[in-house]
Parts: sequence; structure tokens; C-alpha cells
Amino acid sequence: MFMRYMGLALMLAMGFISYSEEAKAAEPECGLNTGEKATGEPIVVGGINGNAPPGDFSGGTDAAAAYFHCVNDNGGINGRPIKYIVENDQWNPELAAQVATKLVKDDGVVALVGNGSVVSMAVNAKLYKDEDVMAMASACAISDCYENSNIVSSNQGPLPSGIGALKFAVEELGTEHAACIGFNIPNNGGWACDWAGKYMESVGKKSTALLMDPSAVDLNSVYLQALAEGVDTIMLMLPAGPALGILKVAEEQDGGDTFKWISPTPLYDPTIPAALGDYWDNKLYVNIELGPFNSDGPDNQNWIAVMDKYGEKEDRRDTFSQSGYLSAKFFVETLLKMDSAEINRTNVTKAIKGISGLTSDLLCGPYYVGDFDRHMPNHAGRMVVYSENEFKVVRDCYDIDSSYLEPIREQERQLRLIQ
Amino acid sequence: MKIYALFLISGLAVGSLYALGGIGLVVLRRATGFLNFAYGAIAAASAMICWQFIDWGFAGPVSWLMSILTGVALSVFFGRFFASGLAWREPVVKAVATLGFALIILGLISFIWDDAARKLVLPTDKIGFRLMEVRITVTRVIAFGASLLIALGMILYLEKTKTGLLMRALANNRAHSALIGIPILRVETIAWALSGALAGFTGMMFGDLVRLDPTIITFMVIPAIAAAICGRLESLFLTFIGGLSIGVAEAMLTLVKTAAPFRSLVPFVVAVLVILWMQRKQRLVFQTED
Amino acid sequence: MILHLRRESRMYATFGFVAICILVLPLIIDSIWVKVLTSAAIFTLAAYGVSLLYSHLGLVNLSQVALVGAGGWIMLRLNYAADFPFEVNLLISAVITAFIGMVLALPAIRMKGLYLALITLMIAGGFQIILSAIQFPNGGSGFFGVALQSPGEMRRPVIAESDTAYLRYSIVIVVFGIMLAAAHKFSRPGRAWAMIRKSEANAMAAGVNVTFYKLWCFTLSGFLAGTAGGLLAGALKILDAKSFPAGESILLFALAIVGGVGHWMGAVIAGFLYRVLPAIFNNIGIDADLSLVIFGAALLHAIMTAPNGIAGQISTLFQAWGRQNK
Repeated sequence: MFMRYMGLALMLAMGFISYSEEAKAAEPECGLNTGEKATGEPIVVGGINGNAPPGDFSGGTDAAAAYFHCVNDNGGINGRPIKYIVENDQWNPELAAQVATKLVKDDGVVALVGNGSVVSMAVNAKLYKDEDVMAMASACAISDCYENSNIVSSNQGPLPSGIGALKFAVEELGTEHAACIGFNIPNNGGWACDWAGKYMESVGKKSTALLMDPSAVDLNSVYLQALAEGVDTIMLMLPAGPALGILKVAEEQDGGDTFKWISPTPLYDPTIPAALGDYWDNKLYVNIELGPFNSDGPDNQNWIAVMDKYGEKEDRRDTFSQSGYLSAKFFVETLLKMDSAEINRTNVTKAIKGISGLTSDLLCGPYYVGDFDRHMPNHAGRMVVYSENEFKVVRDCYDIDSSYLEPIREQERQLRLIQ
Repeated sequence: MKIYALFLISGLAVGSLYALGGIGLVVLRRATGFLNFAYGAIAAASAMICWQFIDWGFAGPVSWLMSILTGVALSVFFGRFFASGLAWREPVVKAVATLGFALIILGLISFIWDDAARKLVLPTDKIGFRLMEVRITVTRVIAFGASLLIALGMILYLEKTKTGLLMRALANNRAHSALIGIPILRVETIAWALSGALAGFTGMMFGDLVRLDPTIITFMVIPAIAAAICGRLESLFLTFIGGLSIGVAEAMLTLVKTAAPFRSLVPFVVAVLVILWMQRKQRLVFQTED
Repeated sequence: MILHLRRESRMYATFGFVAICILVLPLIIDSIWVKVLTSAAIFTLAAYGVSLLYSHLGLVNLSQVALVGAGGWIMLRLNYAADFPFEVNLLISAVITAFIGMVLALPAIRMKGLYLALITLMIAGGFQIILSAIQFPNGGSGFFGVALQSPGEMRRPVIAESDTAYLRYSIVIVVFGIMLAAAHKFSRPGRAWAMIRKSEANAMAAGVNVTFYKLWCFTLSGFLAGTAGGLLAGALKILDAKSFPAGESILLFALAIVGGVGHWMGAVIAGFLYRVLPAIFNNIGIDADLSLVIFGAALLHAIMTAPNGIAGQISTLFQAWGRQNK
């Protein structure tokens, strides 16, 4: 924390120099876009992230916070500002239960927005259902996030993103046998690698799940395990930190060409190129769940503008951040359609469940919620390759083929989003 | 064949870190009677300092030096201000006191550096050579060579130098040593400094070769203790061998599919077995000192 | 007479404390604190087990949280396997964990001091790996019961479905647990422990079965850990392998010492420090990592100058106060 402040002070000092440049950046557009501060009675909204080793999932809540701040400066929800309370569960189930209880029961939030955590959803899914509160999550990574009535996430999670990466690898890179390296958390790595395996089987290829302890010390042996299995492709179903660790080991062993390297979205992060270096040029393919960071799409540009103006300097600007922006934007759009005097939890939950057919250039398909027992609106993504210190799109929007999506497609038919 | 060589090398690298840790623990324990649970925390602090200096843009050697100095400073701080007050207590109380120091250091590290993913890169990572188709980086060679040299050096130091002799005297009987005029404070401070420097070096290597995560480095002390137990908390040579064997066994077990998830049990199982072996002839608890 | 009075008033104070905890606290605190206090109460019981071993036999147990994890594992396994009432499952978990504690103590029984501490530390390290490899049951099939999906339903006691009721329920169980353990002090095992503590050789000479009574103490401590684990499973409904690392066992031991061993109040303080203090820090926006610094400093302080811990200092304070008012 202390170092963050030191860094902040430095940034501020430098900010004076670059101020004139920043002023030229596009003005963000938020909510009513009136340019007037909202002063009415606040609407309380919560968010839970998980930020502790082995992974930082705070991008979603950071972006949601920035967007809400912008909305509050631009007329709020018909004059009422949003009071956004963010808690960190620190990857600890006990803490996750505590902070969720605090938000839902003590603070009386009308909804949760921007959530991103590995443990929190599993612990709290039942609480959300019992208390009839909706969670519009942004950085979900476990099955519970996609298999509950009161949770809907705008990111894909490891299952579709991983299968998306595999689909690309099978079709374009000639993968025959893939290793799925994930955490041995049953509803995270276990779940995602299991479905990834089913996908590989369905296309007549092989796969091996290599599940590791999140606190495993020796990433070297995880890499060696893949080598011993004789796979031709390695998929890193991991948060960015451990994934980077394995790439480092692979670089040391000169494994960049021994395997084809693919990954779901966590490695798509603007800070990654600096950590990767030239070695990985054209060797690492990443499936991205939302739009490319440099896209000219209006929502992507607005996300950048909101983060530039309202974000904190140390906020992560990764896929989860885009996803948090999107959740927050859809949430605000939904609230704006309501009578501002009638904004309470019951009505907000109803309104969120009524969302259908929203679109954004960040998404490949429509966003919807509906009154269903599971939700996974986002399951089509893009593929990028790491090349010359940046990520380049190599395949634009494509959907995945997995029997996991059968109930989801049935929902889409019911909402008349597909035929 | 290549795969075995790879696992062997990987195991030797981790094993030499366990061995290094164990040696640092044994040196201190022999001279002062302290089994330092804070060893891992000191190593973690050193690794983070090294990363911080590199991140600030300092030249490599400066960062490495700062890292080792951090280890020495933390270790000597405890030795001078707390250890002397506990000199006459039972070994287990001394060890528990170092737990307190470990918690303080770990708390401070976690407070100063947030949980971002970091990696520690040393220039020696980029230089490597091939042996039996396996690429070995210079960092690994350094870690292995250093633990070998340090083990040898420490054995010679304790056997051949005057300070080494004084340390052994102190370990045998502190009261008598004081009586015959051994400068206890000075000798002990040297031991704390030596062990701190070793902790700093181990932390840096661990951060580079394994993972730069303060909590993980802090609790690396547990397998290091297992290595030290292999040397009965006394023998540097056996500690060295113990650490290496644990590392290699752990890595090799990865190849046995059913045992792979349990392979990190190796240090603990080995340590328990060694303790049982050591006590095999003992019938009564009060036969030994501790 | 004065002594008698003091003991009586102390008893009333104890009853008063427990009554406030059960009756008043759950009503006036926010829901987050209901959860925090439930955890604190549960770990109070586990800390009391650590405290028993240290105060009666001078044995350092660095694997208590690992045993709590074992108790929680068994509790979850039973919950998904059979339709027994919560209490039955809790008792079975406690008994099996006690048995595990005893078995693990067997090799340690001829050791004392440092080596014993080290063996418990190695056990804690081992449990961490094993729990992580087999994971906690979540309603899946097979012996390990792990399903690759959302967890099933962990039942709570019929009379304590809500968080508030569960807090009361936990406190009652914790009080019973502590009373059971404290009762040992005034009976045969307590006397045996006292003799062993003074001198094992003398105890043996006096015909005390040293091995048996030492094992008994470990078993009792394991029983408390198992009960705590079962209660924790009910409180959180799912458990996570990352929650029971060796580091937590070390921390709980440290806090048991800081709180003060040998007195139930010390364990209460340990439970409070372990769970409530970090929550307070989180709540008021102080980095909870700093609580570790405080714990470490308090441990050093306790070791060097205050062997009876905070509980000891409070009781000294009260005694001084009592003398002044005489």
C-alpha cells in the first residue's frame, strides 16, 4: 500500500507536466450526461473483488467505481448519486461471507455490480438468492457464477474462453493433444478443464488436465509435467500471475516452440507485454472475452475515457476492467429506465432480470439476463496473438461449440435472441 | 531420458534452496541455540528489497547487495535486541520467540508491497548452456554451486577458524564460555549476521528460481527446517544432503501420476521419519536435553 | 473467606460474560459481526486445545488449525453422505479428529520441547498438502465427494438455521467444550498432568502412566479442534483447502500464548484477536496485514515479559484492584 502512495505521489508530480495532453482526451459519456453533479439521496450499490495472491481480480470493481463516479458527475440516476461500496474478499471464503453479509444485510445494497472473485460467488450464491439481490458480476472464474439464478457476469469465465482458445488451436494451430493447466479448485480449474476435455473429445482430439495447488511453490515441475505427458499444446487456465510464472519457466527451458501456447483471457492485460519480452513473439495466443483494448468501438473508447478521467492510476486496465465498465453501464441504463423514487432491491432485481438484447461493441453477442436459473450471456470471443510487444487480433468474433451451452441457447431462443 | 534429466535438474535447484535454508538454520542454531522460524520471513524481505531496488532502476549488483544487507540487518536486529534476553530459556521458547519476529516481518512486507504479481529476474537467467539436451541457466548453477560451497565453507569455518571454535564452545555450554572470557555477544552477532546473509541470498534465489511471493518464501522455512532435521539440527553436511535429496525426490515423484499431487509431502515425511529414527533407542522422554 | 468470595464473584463474572455473549450480543450487532463472532467463538475452542497442551504439559502444538480442517472435512463428508442430525455429525467429526490427533501424537509422545514442536509443524505442513490434493467434499460422489460444480447444501442444526441462531448455538457448544476440558483440571488427568509438568521422572516414579496421560491431552485437544472444524463447516457451509495452511496453525498457537494459556479467558482473547481484530481493521480501512505485526510484537512481549498472556495481566490487574478495595 505504502509503495502505491509513493508511486501516486510521483505520478501526480508528473501529472502536472502531462496535464495539457490529458485534457485533449475524449470526454467520457456517462448516464444522463448532463455534466451536473447528482445530489439526491444516494442509491447504495456493492461490489466484491478478490485481490490477494495468487490473483488480482479487482479490475471489474475498479472500472465500475470509475463509471459510477462519472455517472454521479453527470446527473446520476435521475438526480440520485450512486454510493458504491467495494470490499475485498482476499481469496478467503470466511472473509467473502462476511463482506457479502455486510453489503447485503447491513448496508442494504440494491444490487452488486462489478464483482470479481474466485471464492466469493461459491460462498454467497445462496445468500444472494435468499435475499433476492442480483449480482451483475464482471470477473467471474467459477461455475457458481454461471449456474445461479441471481448472478450474471459480463465476462465469459474460463470455460467458454478456454474452449474458445482450444477451438482456435485445433483449427489453426493443428493441436492434437492439449494440456489444461489450472488450479485444483473443483469449481474453477476442475470445472473448466473438465469441459475443455469434453470439447477436445467431441472434436476427436486428446487433452490432459494438470491441476495444481494454487499455493504450489514449484511452477517448474508443473511445466515439466506437461513435458512428461507428451502434449503438443499448453493451455494456461490460470490468473495472470501464475501463468506468467509458467511462461518464465518455459522460456528458461526454451519451450516456446516445443509447445503451442494458448490461454483464456487473463493474460490479455496491457502490463503483460512488458513482462513477456521478445521471446514470446508470435508464440502466445490468447482468447479475449471482450473487445481489443485498441478498438475504435464507441464503448471501448468510452471505457478508456472513463478510466482516464475517473479511474485511479493504479487501476488495472485489463479485460475485467472492460467487463466492469460494461456491467456498470448496463446497470445504470437499467436504473435510468426506472422511476427513481421506486428504486429498491425488489424492483431493481426485477428490472435486471428484465434485461434483454442489449448490445455493445465490446461484446460479440447480445447481453441479456432473464428470469433463469443460470446465466452466461457472453460466450463468443476473439483470438489475439502476442506480437511485437502488443496483442494483435487473429480471429474476430466466433462462438464456441460445447454441450455446456445447450441450456443457454434455449434461453436465447426463449428471449428470441436467436432462432 | 531427457525428461529424467530435466526433473533431476529441477529437483536439484529446489533442493539446493532447501539445503541453503537448512544450512543457514543450522549455523545459527549451533552457535546460539536459536532455531530461527523467522528465517523464511527474512528471506522474503530480502527478496522483496531486491525486487524493489531493481524496480527503482538500480544496477543489479546494488540490488543484490541491498538484499543481502537486509537479511543481515534483520537477523542481527533480532539477535541483538531480543535473542540476548532469551539466551537462558529452553530451545522451544527461543524458537517460539522467533515466530513472533516472523509474524512482524511478514505483516510489514504484506503492508508495504501489495499483492501484485511480480517476478524477479537476474541477469544470470538469460545465460545458459545445454547439457544432455537440457538447458541450464547460470542462476541454477549458482544456486547449486553456492549451496555446495557454502556448506563446505561453513564446515571449514566452524572447524578451522577461531570464531568457529568459539561458536562451537558457545553451543556446548554458554555459561562456561562466558566464564572463560569468550566475547559471547560478538560471536553471537557474527552468527546472526552470517545466517542473515544466507537468508538474504536464499530469498533472492528463491524469488528468482521458484516464485516471488512473500508468503510462500516465508513458509519455505518449513521444508528448510525439514532439511535441517535431516542433519539433526547439527550437521551441515547431512543438512546439505538432506535438502538436495528432498528436492530431487519431490521433483521425481511428479512422474508417478498417482503420487504427483502429494509430492510436496516429501519434506514433511522425511523429517518425521528422521526424527523417529533419531529417537529409536530412547525410551524415556527426559533422557535428552530437548 | 475472602478467597471464597472472590472465587464466587469470579464465577458470576464468567456466567455474566457467557450470558451477554449468548443473549445480548447477537441482538445488537450488525450481521457482519454475527459472522465474525461466530468464527471467533469457533477458534476460541481450537485455541483452548492449544492452550491445554501448553499450560498442562508445556507442549507446543503447531498443527491445531490443520486438525480444525480435518474436523471440517469429516463434517462435510458426513453431511453429504448421511442424513444424520447436525449434532450427531458434529460428535462423530470431533471423535474422529480426536482419534487422528491421538494417532499423530503417538510418534511424538517420546519427545518434548523443540522436536515435538517441529513434528507438529511438519504434520501441519503435510495436512496442507493433503487437503489441497483431495479438496473438501462439496456433494460429489465417491469417497472424496468432490464435484466439479457448485457445492450442494450443507445443513445447519434445525434450531439454528439463521446466522444469529447459529452464533448462539456455536457459543453454547464452545462453552460446553471448554467446560469439558476444564473439568479435567480438577480430576485425575489434571493431577497427572500437573505431576508430569513438574517432572516426568517423578511422575513415572509415582506410578503415573505418562504416555497415557500425554496421549489423553492430545486426544482432548484434537477433540476440541474437531468440534471447531465441524462448527466452522456449518458456519461457512463450504470450506476451502487454502484456509488451513501451516501458517494459520502457527498463528493460532502464537495467539493462544498472547491471550494467555491455562485460562478460558486467554482462549477467548485468542479467538477475538484471530478473527475480530483483522475484521475491525478491514472495517475501518486499516490494512489487516498490520494485525500480523501486532500479533508478532505481542507474542515477543508475552514470551519475554508476560508469560501469562493478556488474560494473566487482566487478572493481575483485577487482583491489584481487589486489594486496593479491601
